[in-house]
Amino acid sequence: MNEERQNERDSQLSAMFDGELSAAECELLARRLSKDEALRGQWSRYSMIGAALRAERGVKLHDRVAIRVQAQISQEVIYGDATAADSAVMARPALTAGEARGGVTDRWMRFARPVFGVSIAAGVAAASILWLRNQESPEILAANPVPQTVTLAPEATGTVAVSPAPIEVTERVISNGEPERYTTPVPNSSTSIAPPARLANYVVAHSEYSSPLTRRMALLGLVASDGSGVPAEDTAASDQRPEDRTQVNAH
Amino acid sequence: MRIDSRRRAEQARRHGARLAALSLLLTVGVAIGAEPSEWLERMNKALTTRNYIGVFTHNHGGRVETLRIIHRVRGGDVSERLLSLDGPGREFIRQGDEVTCYFPDKKTVLVERRAPDGPLLGALPALGENDSHVYEIRGGERERLLGRTTRVVALQPRDEYRYGYRLWIDEQTSMPLKTQLCGASGEVLEQIVFSNIDLPERIPDSMFKPQVDASTYRWLRADRQLALNSTPALWEAMKLPAGFRMQMRSVQALPGSSEPATHLVFTDGVASVSVFVEPRKPDMKSEEGPVRMGSSSAFTTVTDGHQITAVGEVPPNTVQFIATQVKAIPKGATQGLGIAPAPPRK
Repeated sequence: MNEERQNERDSQLSAMFDGELSAAECELLARRLSKDEALRGQWSRYSMIGAALRAERGVKLHDRVAIRVQAQISQEVIYGDATAADSAVMARPALTAGEARGGVTDRWMRFARPVFGVSIAAGVAAASILWLRNQESPEILAANPVPQTVTLAPEATGTVAVSPAPIEVTERVISNGEPERYTTPVPNSSTSIAPPARLANYVVAHSEYSSPLTRRMALLGLVASDGSGVPAEDTAASDQRPEDRTQVNAH
Repeated sequence: MRIDSRRRAEQARRHGARLAALSLLLTVGVAIGAEPSEWLERMNKALTTRNYIGVFTHNHGGRVETLRIIHRVRGGDVSERLLSLDGPGREFIRQGDEVTCYFPDKKTVLVERRAPDGPLLGALPALGENDSHVYEIRGGERERLLGRTTRVVALQPRDEYRYGYRLWIDEQTSMPLKTQLCGASGEVLEQIVFSNIDLPERIPDSMFKPQVDASTYRWLRADRQLALNSTPALWEAMKLPAGFRMQMRSVQALPGSSEPATHLVFTDGVASVSVFVEPRKPDMKSEEGPVRMGSSSAFTTVTDGHQITAVGEVPPNTVQFIATQVKAIPKGATQGLGIAPAPPRK
């Protein structure tokens, strides 16, 4: 009986992750999550599995992450807390984006908020872990050349959509007189023309001559999956002679 | 006799350990007392000379995305892989002088080669003395970030022709753990925060293989012979924004193009702008005007039957200014390069 109930909850959690759970069932599950520690743990594991699945092969989960996640949950991190430092930078856009998503109702968000809180806690815990392993011995490296550290991005960052409103990013005051609050402006749509393959070519060629600091920024515009920088089928081929057109790799 | 020998060996070992500890303390001491500009130099050196594997979040225009970067320097050869862990999983991979971009969402691959006379990737321009006229470098204060001690350095532009940067540089490794791209008023336009960085001594070749099977994708390759058999045409910027100077003039073959482009690069030591000049063909689509791609701006115009496109990690007004100032130099004419007056700050 208990096993059946557990299976049912697992299915519900899975459906919620996939966005296939009805609003009423989301409400029930959110209430259960706020009371059931085991279920919250399951949710955390689902969050981490999702992050690991999005990452490359070879990424392993680490027990300490789960422990930190539970610690964060027990502290009841308030979602969108603007006084938190870097966690707020991560968390706030997700809320705004979630609200901006057309299919998500206010009611859903109200019940989903505690659930997101758990997810954000997982993200905060993961982001607070930073390993710098530059002192590893050659023997260890030789035996284990591929880094095995856990790398979990904040869960809330994985499914963020474009927000129509400016995102406020709160920063700590630094002693060099920088302002306390900044606003990340929404891109100016009047200049955001969908770039053709030609622009992607230019950016790649240009990046080879950028400084180390700016080169990464240039490439991010190309690799980021926001729809820009994609070589459109028609434009890529339009400027070529027939014999120069598409070359299919033969390797 | 054997005891004396062992004792001497033990004393030598302890002496060596003391020397190593003293050396480490001196090194740390130098680092602690470093100026903000020294932290920038250390960061540039770390970014170009170290092996690193990191995962970071990228916040731009309300979007947050997770990416992985792998960087390897081996015998002067730089390999790099930038992979989006969200969405369709686009990838950028450099190995040797070839760069490859995978677009799984469009089942397309772009392959470019570095210009034959281009500079080594690790020998890129650094901040010079004159750059203090266009950037104010401030900070150097300690701040804790993700459990690490960092130095916060701000590069504030003195005019609106370039972006500013705010950097959280790890005190121990000089790697930038957090980077903010800022507008002239200090507003954050883009942010990168690492959640994990490894600095391994070795990175295997397998880490630079794409995660997608692109054998059925459409491959667009640059024809290298086009660049090798051409000489750069004489094009020059009549005026440049303050602080910018020409870094390089070359010929660049671009994927899908049958004509080589003249490639000019201008830099102020931090920001750089590339100008591509290509003969305009009758069937070429009109792409004149401004375009944005992430933090990069581009502006295209047509002059003397050529399409001129300026691209760089600078504000839109900078690429527009430079693109409209690039002209063909008649044979025998002397080059006249002026400096544009800086516009007033808002």
